Amino acid sequence: MIRILLADDHALVRRGVRLILEQEPDLSVVAEAGDGAEAVRLLRETEVDLAILDIAMPRMTGLQAAAKISERGSPPRILMLSMHDNEQYFFGALKAGACGYVLKSVADVDLVSACRAAMRGETFLYPGAESALVRDYLDRLRRGDRVPDSALTPREDEVIKLIAEGRSSKEIARALTIALKTVERHRANILAKLGMRDRTDLTRYAIRAGLIEP
Amino acid sequence: MSVRLTSDLPLFWNVSLINGAVFLLGTLVLVVSPLSISSRVVASEVVVVTVGLTIMLLTNALLIRRSLAPLDRMIRRMEAMDQLQPGVLAEEGVGPVRGIARSVNGLLDRLEAARRSGNAQALAAQEAERHRIAQELHDEVGQSLTVVLLGLKQVESRVPAEVMEELALVRESARAGLDDVRRVARRLRPGVLEDLGLQSALAALVTDFSTNSTASVRRSFSPGLPTLSADADLVVYRVAQEALTNAARHADAGSVELSLGRVGESVVLEIRDDGRGFAGLVEGSGLLGMRERAALIDAELTVTSHPRSGTTVRLRVPS
Repeated sequence: MIRILLADDHALVRRGVRLILEQEPDLSVVAEAGDGAEAVRLLRETEVDLAILDIAMPRMTGLQAAAKISERGSPPRILMLSMHDNEQYFFGALKAGACGYVLKSVADVDLVSACRAAMRGETFLYPGAESALVRDYLDRLRRGDRVPDSALTPREDEVIKLIAEGRSSKEIARALTIALKTVERHRANILAKLGMRDRTDLTRYAIRAGLIEP
Repeated sequence: MSVRLTSDLPLFWNVSLINGAVFLLGTLVLVVSPLSISSRVVASEVVVVTVGLTIMLLTNALLIRRSLAPLDRMIRRMEAMDQLQPGVLAEEGVGPVRGIARSVNGLLDRLEAARRSGNAQALAAQEAERHRIAQELHDEVGQSLTVVLLGLKQVESRVPAEVMEELALVRESARAGLDDVRRVARRLRPGVLEDLGLQSALAALVTDFSTNSTASVRRSFSPGLPTLSADADLVVYRVAQEALTNAARHADAGSVELSLGRVGESVVLEIRDDGRGFAGLVEGSGLLGMRERAALIDAELTVTSHPRSGTTVRLRVPS
């Protein structure tokens, strides 16, 4: 059973997220907070495996709370929930110690898989960040810069180009006439091969690209 | 001579003195000269008096005209003044005319100051209003749509198969609505500026620009830049936004460079494109807006542009 703390200043959003999570038998919301400060306080009293924090909260924002939580010994995994489709927030979240970033506009689809990815120790990228990273990789490849030794399969080559165009998994599956599950597997493999599955690597990349300060 | 003598007197005394001097001269001539007028006026006397009077009138007119000429020049200059950049009137001529020029200049200064503070207030009000609307879109509309989206997902497993397709459509509409709200809010007010600071906001701006434009954009930020006030951050951001918009919309640029660096104690934003420039074109309202924003924080905006060799917008902000 994965124990979850949920922090969002909007009670109805919290309820919606909770209902989505509790449809899964192995996920259980054990604490709810209305702002960042309350989340930090509750985490001191409650045993939690995963904290889901909204980015924009009064008193203490999700980013500040994440940074505070990460300072502790053996912190829970952290997922950020956000309205902002913006790499800056994504990398800001990684820097603050989060291991995933879920857009509210796709939360109904992505949230559960993000929770599982987080518990596996993987980084969950929202679709915009993924295509930005892949685009940057293809740019560097074209310019002849040194890139991770990737050796993508021809099929993965096809998939990566569609990701760079910002296509969703469903669209890619239709374009290549393959199953949705296969696309998801290709996506995960590609990111792993490019060294973009790991929070440390992604943070290092963002610093090098000047997206966040070290 | 009389002009110099009367140069610091009020206009009334100026004219009176000129008249008085001419009359005095005429009277003296009449007294000193052997001229006399018979009780029955003869023709030669009429001629002499007429000539004398004409000379007096002409002298008087010439002298008065000379002392009033600067007033006419000033009227012409005032009529030709540019409403937006009035400059100053030359302070010349005799006392009263110089006085008018001086008080018109004073008035122009006060009007300019009032115009500036009016602009500052209008811009501040506009930003505050945008901020409020963006916030409400985010906090109210955005959250409600999120609730709708999550709720629809939640009931999905419990609805009969024949309404599934309908439900999926509704869900996609809610998602599209949420994306729209986010996009509009972001254009109104960049949350990233407040949350993550100027460099992040500029980086996000550049990313946005490169996804929506064919031009390639490069950005460079010098390390260790001094922190600016929130107002200055916003001005820098809006100027960059406007300059990039211009580059995309009018300049037809192939590559754009945005840089934020430091010159002495100032922070300098520079946006350089290789587009077609706009020499000869009238400065549009976009540029005017940039200038007005720059003036709010005492920053210096320079725009250099040549046809076919691109445009450079440079904003220098004292820190």
